[in-house]
Amino acid sequence: MSSASEAAAAPGGDVLLAVRHLVQEFVLRDYGGARGGVLQAVSDVSFELRAGETLGIVGETGSGKSTLARSVIQAPPPKQGEVVFEGKNLVGLSHRAMKPVRRHLQMVFQDPFTSLDPKWSVARIVAEPLAAYAVGSRAERQERASSLLELVGLDPARYGRRRPRELSGGQAQRVAIARALVLEPKLILCDEPASSLDVLVQAQVLNLLERLRSELRLSYLFIAHDLALVKQVSDRVAVMYLGKLCEIGPVRDIYRQPLHPYTLALLASIPDPAPGSGKHATRSVISGELPSPLNPPSGCRFRTRCPRAQELCATQEPELRPLGGAGHLVACHFPLSGGAAPTAGARERGEPAAAER
Amino acid sequence: MAAPAASLALGVPDPGGAAPEGRLRGGSVLRSLEITIPGALLLVLLFFCFIWPLVYQVPSPTYGSVLNANLPMWSPGHIFGTTNVGYDNMARILYGGRTTFEVAAAVQAIGLVVGGLLGVVAGYAGGIVEAASMRVLDVLIAFPSLVLILAIVDSLGQSELHVIWALSAFSIPAVARVARAGTLRLREQPFVVAARLSSVKAWRIIAGHIVPNLIPQLLTFSLLGTGIVIILESGLDFLGYGIPDPAPSWGGMIAYGQTVMSVSLSPLVVPSLFLFGTVVCLNLLGDGLRGRWGVR
Amino acid sequence: MGAPLGPLLEVSDLRVCFRSRGEAVHAVQGVSYTVEPGQTLAIIGESGSGKTVSAYAVLGLLPRTARVSGSIRFNGVEIVGLGERELRQHRGRNVAMVFQNPERSLNPTMKVGNQITEAIRRHLTVTREQARERAIELLRMVRIPAAERRFHEYPHQLSGGMRQRVIIAIALACEPALLIADEATTALDVTTQAQIMDLLLDLQVQLGTALVMISHDLALAASYAEDIMVMYAGRVVEKASVQDLFASVRMPYTRALLDAVPRAELEPHAALPVVGGLPPDLSKVAPGCSFAPRCPEAQPDCRRTTPKLDEHETGHWWACWHPCEGGQGGQKGEPGELGE
Repeated sequence: MSSASEAAAAPGGDVLLAVRHLVQEFVLRDYGGARGGVLQAVSDVSFELRAGETLGIVGETGSGKSTLARSVIQAPPPKQGEVVFEGKNLVGLSHRAMKPVRRHLQMVFQDPFTSLDPKWSVARIVAEPLAAYAVGSRAERQERASSLLELVGLDPARYGRRRPRELSGGQAQRVAIARALVLEPKLILCDEPASSLDVLVQAQVLNLLERLRSELRLSYLFIAHDLALVKQVSDRVAVMYLGKLCEIGPVRDIYRQPLHPYTLALLASIPDPAPGSGKHATRSVISGELPSPLNPPSGCRFRTRCPRAQELCATQEPELRPLGGAGHLVACHFPLSGGAAPTAGARERGEPAAAER
Repeated sequence: MAAPAASLALGVPDPGGAAPEGRLRGGSVLRSLEITIPGALLLVLLFFCFIWPLVYQVPSPTYGSVLNANLPMWSPGHIFGTTNVGYDNMARILYGGRTTFEVAAAVQAIGLVVGGLLGVVAGYAGGIVEAASMRVLDVLIAFPSLVLILAIVDSLGQSELHVIWALSAFSIPAVARVARAGTLRLREQPFVVAARLSSVKAWRIIAGHIVPNLIPQLLTFSLLGTGIVIILESGLDFLGYGIPDPAPSWGGMIAYGQTVMSVSLSPLVVPSLFLFGTVVCLNLLGDGLRGRWGVR
Repeated sequence: MGAPLGPLLEVSDLRVCFRSRGEAVHAVQGVSYTVEPGQTLAIIGESGSGKTVSAYAVLGLLPRTARVSGSIRFNGVEIVGLGERELRQHRGRNVAMVFQNPERSLNPTMKVGNQITEAIRRHLTVTREQARERAIELLRMVRIPAAERRFHEYPHQLSGGMRQRVIIAIALACEPALLIADEATTALDVTTQAQIMDLLLDLQVQLGTALVMISHDLALAASYAEDIMVMYAGRVVEKASVQDLFASVRMPYTRALLDAVPRAELEPHAALPVVGGLPPDLSKVAPGCSFAPRCPEAQPDCRRTTPKLDEHETGHWWACWHPCEGGQGGQKGEPGELGE
């Protein structure tokens, strides 16, 4: 797999995060505590993230993207595989050994109202990581917390003493972002940071994240279910389905030249805001239901819903291999090769415009 | 308007006034009554049990002349009458109430502190610590409460202190269970995960995040459980295992009242009404607070 | 089809006010619109716009703390002020609603099929057998495979998309003339969303039902609706057919909504043109346009007088003193502005 992961590296800084053959499982318990099935939420996922870039991870329910994020921060640690951050494998590190690492690796969660302690004041929330690392005196910590609140657009004098309940969703999420920044991390995992917010507020928060990224030279691992949003913020995108990585590559390539049928289906399902896109245009190019993650289909997991599935797809699991442009990998036996981006007409038929296999 | 940040130009100032201010206070007027009326009644009772005898000359509950024995209700100087050896019943109600409240407060306090701590630590630590402590508590919970308490008092000997120990064996596991369940739930909340991600020490997480968010739940549980503790305590007294005679107790008075039931009802009815009223007020108060604080 | 004369639903100057502890929250402030039989109308707004509250008013689902004034006429019959018994008849028979959260709308302890038959038998006098057959027919109509088997399953055995289909089946059980979908696909995956929306449209054509879809997603509305109504802070601010709206967006708020949505055509790392601030506090009704504090085009008169919703062009209504100049709802305005 090493050649594949090398091919997946995009131009940019050094490799900041390398995830190799990550597997995360959950044991389901039946009544009485007996072992029920095993749910493999993340199956053999590998990718790299370079300093200064944003890697977007897209997937729907059951794709394992949130579980992947949690595994990277070791909460809980993955069952198998490696998470190499700044050259050090985090898997198996003791709690104490993780402490210096955590300074550089932070996370912003989806719902700010559960990721902020409802009983704490905003200033205290933002200063907490500093207190945990015993940075400076209490006054100095408050200073730093205040300057971070200003950085995210909240007046500390006005908002510092408030509780999260007294803030709007967008304001609360800014507090969460400020807290994630306070230790000056290198990499921030954003787990759907804007999906619980209103449209206009969502745009505000995304712009904030972008600005912070360039000002503070951050890298992001951006988890989302919204493909259009991910395109806006990412340099590279990875598409996940049922715990597996389907496709990964530079963002322009993924959107202009998707190689995996699932990626195409996702793109086709984005509502098109262009006028007159036609009322009765059948947009859904994907059929059937998501299989149970407890019992995923043999071979390629997407085959039960894929319009291009053949016998081989049931017997052999496709491997991630390079195809298309540089740094573009896909795990498919019959990928969409060549061809232009899906046009409106093509979306209706679920096939790319140009000839393919 | 908001002062623009020094480091970055932020642009559009906050138009202000839009963010919701202040916490929503709970409930309608009706819910307030549910709290204030029982609360007030309890306060009045507490006042009479603890403070009133200090300022007003109340006859001694354990001293009296046989010449005054068996006076009926509403006798001059003895509103609730006297016992068969001339002790004033009203005083016995008041001092018995004092004992009841003392014991209940002590037991619940011990339960909250010891049981709460145990439950939180077990819930947060997980693993063998949790398994071991929960199994020990399971043993205690498995016994019918009155039987357990009787056994403890019997082996320790009768006294108010021993009653408190015995009843704690009941309240500690109960609170520990609730505390553990709450801790398990809170531990998975993103704000706790975020704290762990910031390398906040475990005891700090427990003290700063878990306990403060658990307090409303524990307090209301305690309050609602106080009624049960009082009934258990009175039950002990009734059976003769609790507060030893001649110290007054409601349960003891009820036991006595039962023996003279065919002759006169008031020695039975009066302490029973006080017991009943107190427990009802406690339950109403606990329920009302639970609604007000939004505890599940 | 023998459609009755006149619009199916006629809402005139609807106002809804919630009273709580001395404070009055004006959730809906004078909303008027009509729905013709078989029409697809999209009501677009963010939280606090009043879109859901006005839909609940049409269904008569508002709690008693709500004070409703104005008129809602369904097939000529006034809904406002009806008693509970008549409202129950009205719901399900005339109007039905599909809610956002499939988990919360289905009874977890009841088999799926029984929930459908219950809805059927509440409004139609049929035997149990007939209700059961109709329920299975409905399950097939909403494209649930193996309908007979699914009839006996519980909600937790179904996926999110399938549960939503069941809810649609329940809503359509008595063939209402109007179906209201309140953010019906928001909680679903984008691929499932496409499936469900296609289903709704096909059913609409098949049954001739009018559809009101409530959403925050303008793009979704554009793909599926014929007409769009944009609400902000309890008022209608723009109303037009989909073509007219996108050909020339007038209301700056609508334009802000369009601009704020990340689109696949944009370049990566492009800043989204953004409007700062927050929606206004609905307990304080100030004079002037409610969007004025945040509007990039705001002028002094915007804050003084409330603009009225008028048909400035045929078929295109807006409530703005200084509307945009028309042209595509494309990327305009200052990028990268932070709110508050």
